[in-house]
Amino acid sequence: MAEDKKGSVLIVGGGIAGIQSSLDLANSGFKVYLVEKGPSIGGVMSQLDKTFPTNDCAMCILAPKLVGTGRHPNIELITNAEIEEVMGEAGNFTVAVKKKPRYVDEDKCTGCGACTENCPVKKMIYPLEEEPLPILKEKDIQKIRAIIKEHREEMGKLMPVLQHINKEYNYLPPDLLRHISKELDIPLVAIYQIATFYNAFHLEPRGKHIVTVCVGTACHVKGAPGLVEALQQELNINVGETTEDMSFTLETARCFGCCGLAPVITVNENVYGKLKREEIPKIIKHYKD
Amino acid sequence: MHKLKIEDLEKIRERARRATLLREGDSKAKIIVHMGTCGISAGARKIMNALLNIVEETEVKDVIVTTSGCAGLCSREPMVTVELKGEAPVKYVDLTEEKIHKIFSKHVLGGKIVTEYALAIGSEREP
Amino acid sequence: MVCAGTACVSCGSLGIKKILEDEIQKQGLENEILVVTTGCNGFCGQGPIMAVQPDGIFYQKLTPKDIPHLVEEHFLKGRPVKRLMYIPPGEENPVPLISEIGFFQKQRLIALRNKGLIDPEKIDEYIARDGYRAMAKALTSMTPEEIIKEIKDSGLRGRGGAGFPTGRKWEFCRKTKGDAKYIVCNADEGDPGAYMDRSIIESDPHAVIEGMLIGAKAIGSNKGFVYIRSEYPLAIERLGTAIEQAREYGLLGKNIFDAGFDFDIEMKQGAGAFVCGEETSLIHSIEGITPEPSQRPPFPAQSGLWGKPTNINNVETWANVPRIILRGADWFASIGTEKSKGTKVFSLVGKINNTGLVEVPMGITLREIIYDIGGGIPGGKKFKAVQIGGPSGGVVPNALLDLPIDYERLTEVGAMMGSGGMVVMDEDTCMVDIAKYFLAFTNDESCGKCTSCREGSLAMLEILTRISEGKGKEGDIEFLEELGKAVKDASQCGLGQTLPNPVLSTIKHFRDEYEAHIKDKKCPAHTCKELISYYIDSDKCIGCGLCSKKCLVNAISGEKKKPHQIDKSKCIKCGVCYDSCKFEAVIVE
Ligand SMILES: Cc1cc2nc3c(=O)[nH]c(=O)nc-3n(C[C@H](O)[C@H](O)[C@H](O)COP(=O)(O)O)c2cc1C
Ligand code: FES
Repeated sequence: MAEDKKGSVLIVGGGIAGIQSSLDLANSGFKVYLVEKGPSIGGVMSQLDKTFPTNDCAMCILAPKLVGTGRHPNIELITNAEIEEVMGEAGNFTVAVKKKPRYVDEDKCTGCGACTENCPVKKMIYPLEEEPLPILKEKDIQKIRAIIKEHREEMGKLMPVLQHINKEYNYLPPDLLRHISKELDIPLVAIYQIATFYNAFHLEPRGKHIVTVCVGTACHVKGAPGLVEALQQELNINVGETTEDMSFTLETARCFGCCGLAPVITVNENVYGKLKREEIPKIIKHYKD
Repeated sequence: MHKLKIEDLEKIRERARRATLLREGDSKAKIIVHMGTCGISAGARKIMNALLNIVEETEVKDVIVTTSGCAGLCSREPMVTVELKGEAPVKYVDLTEEKIHKIFSKHVLGGKIVTEYALAIGSEREP
Repeated sequence: MVCAGTACVSCGSLGIKKILEDEIQKQGLENEILVVTTGCNGFCGQGPIMAVQPDGIFYQKLTPKDIPHLVEEHFLKGRPVKRLMYIPPGEENPVPLISEIGFFQKQRLIALRNKGLIDPEKIDEYIARDGYRAMAKALTSMTPEEIIKEIKDSGLRGRGGAGFPTGRKWEFCRKTKGDAKYIVCNADEGDPGAYMDRSIIESDPHAVIEGMLIGAKAIGSNKGFVYIRSEYPLAIERLGTAIEQAREYGLLGKNIFDAGFDFDIEMKQGAGAFVCGEETSLIHSIEGITPEPSQRPPFPAQSGLWGKPTNINNVETWANVPRIILRGADWFASIGTEKSKGTKVFSLVGKINNTGLVEVPMGITLREIIYDIGGGIPGGKKFKAVQIGGPSGGVVPNALLDLPIDYERLTEVGAMMGSGGMVVMDEDTCMVDIAKYFLAFTNDESCGKCTSCREGSLAMLEILTRISEGKGKEGDIEFLEELGKAVKDASQCGLGQTLPNPVLSTIKHFRDEYEAHIKDKKCPAHTCKELISYYIDSDKCIGCGLCSKKCLVNAISGEKKKPHQIDKSKCIKCGVCYDSCKFEAVIVE
């Protein structure tokens, strides 16, 4: 590391680009001020699972850099702050930075997180700017109120509530989820964690007819892959997609529990067993009309 | 219904046992349609409806049509078990609506087992 | 009256008499029925013979096997067994007895004892078949310690996968201190191709409820949950009805049987995630948080639902409990092998004639299950292997057909009891494809918490896909083995620890098939599309035109009555022509 400081740089935004630039500049001897609007650096990448194009784990790349930035003697982190004014010219800038209050003594706080856990109102301890809730139709509001009311007393109520919505709407409309989050006082991330974990939940609207191919083991050895192929051809969509006219959604499931009839598909509630590939067009036609 | 005591349990047991055994009841025959998920997917509901229709049409009063769970042999669904008073139950497999008509008229009403469709006589036992 | 004339004695009538007496005693009828021997009846050609008075019925040609059935049907239920009666010549009755049909003959029903006999929506019918008597016994005349001892002595082991002794699990949970304890029934049957839990709930829901009640008393819990897959609407409905009925009868609720014991059950639905069958993950799912598994210990018995001691058992395990309490540990322990007691329900599916649910005693051989019960392989094909235990299990090949099935033996050969899915495969099933199938499944279902499981399964899947596309390299097999071991060692929960099993066991038993894919670029079972091609044998083709009509992509052409041809550039290798040709003129290579 170069010892003599050549000058100072201010970087705006503590995402991965800002972090990497700060590290590179700091390593080559500049004093770096990294200004970030949010309470912590990391940006979008810290919310990702994998990164394009290598499919590497996002946190595995980012975490060492976060630590490096925090500990670098040449980098000064200014978080929870925004730029007010930039004056001067290239080579000699003066920047006014406005720090928002943290209500926490920064020198003493070690970031252990105990206070957030113990906060009785379960809000994050820093004031988050809330986006306004999306506006819903009156009947949707009625519906979710009723659903919430029905499950309010249950232990572990989030699952039953989501299942209920899924059943009513055939998917989980994201706008509704924001309202649910507020009503149940459960953070939206926690809801999304659940909503994206299970196969039964969908965040996009689905077609009028749901075609599900069983790809359980028994059906697999009896020719389910051929059925999937035939259906994809017939409907001209891939598994997990919906036709443009919103009439069919093609899905796969694992075992309906009628392996005796393998291979099996269901269309809505109807089961078709001991199916041959050639029979597919006829079935689809039946639902088209 | 008030809460059961142990003695009540015995009473229900005796009463229900008689009813299921057919020995002392008024009915002369019982038809069990096996309706598990596999049976229903194979068409057990159709068989059930057909049976109910037949019973209604023929105005037979002393035949019980009831449902039960899967009989285990899923590849031969739909299945029914026909039990006449004083005789061992007979299991029929691979049914269709026509077959059930024939079984009803020949076996249930006529007392003659329809051997072409029958799989076996008797019931299974716990070891 | 059993005939003891010379002719009948010589064909075994005294043996029959002995069995008859035993059987009558077993059924508790000894005061009502007297067994006597008589002199010759003169019907010597049909011996051994017996007559039942006062009904005046003659039975003929008896064998020891017939007796239990006869006693039950005739003496207990009052219906003479027509098949064994003397029938005047000319009138015959060709329908076989249930005990003569292989499918039923070798089964021993405990968990499924009420299947197809009672109406699952009527609690009275369950009660008629001894229902809730075991619970009455447990609640009023047994201490929790006695119940646990009974279960321990019976040797019952968990039917959900790992086979942990149920009695010990209960004891563990009983001894943990806590103000509230929970019990859970795991009905999240995730193994694709297994459906015994669904069937038990659908045909006999009260057995599960009764089992849970007994367990609750033993452990000291007042609240139970059934975690059930949302894919099973009928089971959910029937269990719901059953719980309602039990509540109405006061069999669930407060102060049951005035024995000062409260218990109630709530149903929780899953939403289609295999990992939720894992117990810590299941607990998180019920709590409504992200259902990723967590580190054990602490075991659920120490800190489970909402941090309270929790006991989780599988549906089938619960359904066995009432019978053990009612009929005693010795009875249960007399069935099965040394370390695996009782029976196990398997769902026998795939390439087999009789698909269905079968309950067999532990220690039965695969051969008996597949040939006697399953009726062999359809279409005269050769049996190749059976996959046991789903995504956590492995294959058992042809050579091990005489393997007695219990927990230990299966683990020894690289498979696993799992929940009891048994998928039969014939010569047309490719082992690489099966391994690939399961890896695709586990890769999809991995919750992604541990890198070894998430990335390891992906890496293995990529190699398997490569092999099945004919791009396999020397050393791939060894690398798969190494990777498999690493994933096993490094993963946290059962999913990751067992996911390499399908791959490792197929390599172990079918290494030559892998080698054929890699070295010869051939798929011996003609399954992997990239490695096969279809053509028409011009000597055999008579030009009927059936295949060209059926072909989905118009790849077959030819004049009528002349040999046809397949255009390989158009062919999508779907196999429709192969299946439709009546002259075996379509060849796949
Ligand atoms: C990935 C995974 C999936 C599982 N799936 C199931 C399941 O579907 N049903 C089940 O009963 N047990 C399942 N188990 C086993 C449970 O974790 C647990 O061992 C079992 O419910 C305990 O009950 P038992 O002692 O009665 O077997 C699974 C385990 C793992 C690791
Ligand atoms: S594997 Fe398809 S229904 Fe079971």
